Amino acid sequence: MVDRNLILLELKNINKSFGNLHVLNDVSMTVVQGKVVAIIGPSGSGKTTLLRCVNALESIDSGEIVIENKRVNPKSRNVHELREKVGFIFQAFNLFAHLTTLENIMLAQRIVKKRSVKEARERAFSLLRKVGLEDKANYYPSQLSGGQQQRVAIARALAMDPKLLLMDEITSALDPELVSEVLDVVIQLAKDGMTMIIVTHEMGFARNVASRIIFMDNGRIIEQGEPNKIFNNPEQERTRDFLNKVLNHK
Amino acid sequence: MKLDTSIYLLDWLFILKGAGITLFLCLNAMVFGSILGLIIGTMRTSKLSILKYISGAYIYIIRGTPLLMQLFLVYYGLPVFFRIIVSAYTTALVGLTVYAAAYLAEIVKAGLQSVDKGQKDAAKALGMTSWQEFRSIVLPQALKVIVPPAFGFFIALIKDSSLVAIIGFIELTRSSRMVISRTYQPFTIYLGVAVIYFVICYGLSIISQKYFKANRQDIPKASQPWKTVAIKVS
Repeated sequence: MVDRNLILLELKNINKSFGNLHVLNDVSMTVVQGKVVAIIGPSGSGKTTLLRCVNALESIDSGEIVIENKRVNPKSRNVHELREKVGFIFQAFNLFAHLTTLENIMLAQRIVKKRSVKEARERAFSLLRKVGLEDKANYYPSQLSGGQQQRVAIARALAMDPKLLLMDEITSALDPELVSEVLDVVIQLAKDGMTMIIVTHEMGFARNVASRIIFMDNGRIIEQGEPNKIFNNPEQERTRDFLNKVLNHK
Repeated sequence: MKLDTSIYLLDWLFILKGAGITLFLCLNAMVFGSILGLIIGTMRTSKLSILKYISGAYIYIIRGTPLLMQLFLVYYGLPVFFRIIVSAYTTALVGLTVYAAAYLAEIVKAGLQSVDKGQKDAAKALGMTSWQEFRSIVLPQALKVIVPPAFGFFIALIKDSSLVAIIGFIELTRSSRMVISRTYQPFTIYLGVAVIYFVICYGLSIISQKYFKANRQDIPKASQPWKTVAIKVS
């Protein structure tokens, strides 16, 4: 059992339905400080919804979300506090189309964190350096490749100094040759000790970067454990079945 | 005694002054109509159904009745219901504002809805409040979609505003009728007035085309390397 103080995020019996569709069925999990959790599973298994619930982009029907020992109440004002602590990287990048790269990274720092222009600017440039896009500061999102946009989106999320990053299939919308430049950034973040929950279809990447793998199907967590165990020796039939399909397609 | 029916320079100047008044009236109606239209259009996209229904009713009622009726209702209604007697200018301004707000609200609504949902998610995920999200993310992007058709509506409003001549406000159309009543030369005068309307509207549409073409990309030309490439290729 892990030390309770090291638990950054705890989900307890989360349930969520869209109409008659039960997308999340009694999902419970914990994320430990500094660790990377990868969620895998077939499309429609509720992975994305789970991430969106953690960041209160979707409301939950029942259950509890506890972050840093504080219960999140989606209806109260502490939603904003939560979102300041938890960064979200989207599949479709969602960079603000009317702002340049630099402005994208500066805006929330200015109006949410109330940082000075100078401070926000310096932070933005240091993050752009980190993701290797310093020379693209004055470009608009439409002028960047998908991989570059996603790296800017990561920099934008990091600028808020999140304790936890949620990544929702961040390479699914990319051309194959652009995937690695984004994954390299994520691997670097993991090395730096960033806590992350990563929803991904890149099994090799999940295996390398995550310290724990969660397999979801039909809104339930079917199985979870260390990467070696899940990939080499899954307990559940359904997990084996899924991994056979995605790993042996060549 | 022979009646003097010739048209003097002073007559044309009088009509031109009317054109100025028409422009002034429409500009004001546009300013107030835009403010009102922005509020009503935003209500239209609200999650609260009461705001949605009130704004929807407003839009459908105004768009479903002739401007002339609205002008008459303002003209005769204000004194009866509010016990105030207002000038012809105020009547015209109120009438056109009410009318413009309904059309602009629909344009605003379409503009707000054109903003991708992912943009709002991203704003929320960064901890922005609903107001910050609206003010810094949704509105600036929506305005790019809103402004061109709103400007088009402004041009149409200038033509529609000729109706306020009926309630006695002396603008371009009304002033021309006053000149006609002395000179008995309706064809010449009306032709001149039509030319004036055309010059105003065509001029404005040229301006809008130039302006919106320049602003469409919002990106300085020098930083569009692929454009230069495209030109070289072709």
